[in-house]
Amino acid sequence: MHTVLESVGKITLVSPRGRLDFGSAADFQAQIEGAMTGAGTAPVGVLIDCAGLDYVSSAGLRVFLIAARAAKRAGIAFGVCDLKPSVREVFEISGFRELMPVHADRPQALAQMLK
Amino acid sequence: MQRSVQAWAQSLVGDETPYARAFENLILALIAVSVVSVAFEATEDLPRWAAEAFRISEIVIVAVFSFEYLMRIIAAPKKLAFIFSFAGLVDLVSIAPFYLAGFDVRYIRVLRVLRVLRVLKVQRRTLEKAVAERTRELAERNLALLQAQKQITAELDVARALQIAILPSTFPANAGCDGAARMIPATTMGGDFYDFIELPDKRIGLVMADVSGKGVPAAFFMAVARTNLRELAVHHLDPSDCLTCTNEILCTQNPMDLFVTVFYCVFDPASGVLRYANGGHNPPCVRRTDGSIEMLNDAGGLVLGAIPGAKYADQMVQLRHGDRLVLYTDGITEAFNAAQEAYGMPRLIAEIQAHGNGAAAALVERICHSVADFAGAAAQSDDITLAVLAWHAPGGK
Repeated sequence: MHTVLESVGKITLVSPRGRLDFGSAADFQAQIEGAMTGAGTAPVGVLIDCAGLDYVSSAGLRVFLIAARAAKRAGIAFGVCDLKPSVREVFEISGFRELMPVHADRPQALAQMLK
Repeated sequence: MQRSVQAWAQSLVGDETPYARAFENLILALIAVSVVSVAFEATEDLPRWAAEAFRISEIVIVAVFSFEYLMRIIAAPKKLAFIFSFAGLVDLVSIAPFYLAGFDVRYIRVLRVLRVLRVLKVQRRTLEKAVAERTRELAERNLALLQAQKQITAELDVARALQIAILPSTFPANAGCDGAARMIPATTMGGDFYDFIELPDKRIGLVMADVSGKGVPAAFFMAVARTNLRELAVHHLDPSDCLTCTNEILCTQNPMDLFVTVFYCVFDPASGVLRYANGGHNPPCVRRTDGSIEMLNDAGGLVLGAIPGAKYADQMVQLRHGDRLVLYTDGITEAFNAAQEAYGMPRLIAEIQAHGNGAAAALVERICHSVADFAGAAAQSDDITLAVLAWHAPGGK
């Protein structure tokens, strides 16, 4: 798995690609933590774009939970978008849908978060 | 006596002693003085005092070199071999001109520079010795690390065995129904568990759960979750109540931000009524005697341990004579083969439909085999856990 970080205005976009499982969870967590503390200027929001994410295990879900909590503590908006069906199913079964905002796609998510 | 003289000589001209190091530096300095003096002696109008100084220095140098040469011969185990070795000849050449009075061979003294080569050679040997020493130390440390790793692996194996040992190996007898379960652990310590809990009024609680992540933290969290759930199940007969209370406790005992997905149900073997609540776990399925499958996917709730105050809802299903309830973890549906394909729900459902009529244990074995066949040589990345409940209504209707 690899992760792409980019900025759209004051939102930091985190785009994981591939399989997020126990093996890649620690790296992904470090990336998100980096995105949140930022280099100097903390972002207004962090959006995880899951368009390229093929698979999430429970260890991967845990990173989403930790990130959502950290964002809440830091007063940063947090959301995920563009879940593939298999990932969406995991979010639904685990109840994570209720735990964090899940947006249909990137434009919609950005519009919501910058509101 | 002779031995001790040899030992003393060795301590002075050997390779490693502190004396030898100082002596060697003295020799190097004398070589430098000697070479410089040869150059200056060549000048025509040398003042008398300078010529005298060079003469005295030459005597001192030759005296020291001669002494050293003698010491080396004494120190050498094979004396002739030393005398005719490169080092021995260089030593001889550097003092011979002095003793060969009458011949003007002073310039041969420049050959003393050759002695520098010898010193360098000795130093290289010392360096090689140091490298060999470090290599040996590294090898020793590697061995220690390997032994430590061995011990950790052995301790993890014990922990793994303990973790499996706390799972019930048999279904409660006289339960009025037939149950079986199996957990096939992945190589790394995981956090799947199942449980059968005997409740008041001959009811029976069934748990299927999966802790997020792997390793020792997951195993600990599994033990905490399992113990709390078992304790609370006896006092909270509504599955949703039991999950709500377990969640509250897990949220306070969760320094690692782990969570656990739990499907919990209470079965009444007298009536066939199954009441259940779901904390983020894969929905189990009921196989009816005609082979049809019903997914118990109407009780969505959040995983346990994530946030306090999460609420769960009870659902109910009426089992009929001969029905099977199949509980599983995602280690089954997400077992991958070498081509990175997942075993998936359709394969699991097909197995349950085709082979669900026998004993509970037979279906458990059947599914485990099917998953193993599918995965082939691919490494098992997650625990595989499965439980089956088979109910035969009192009176057989």
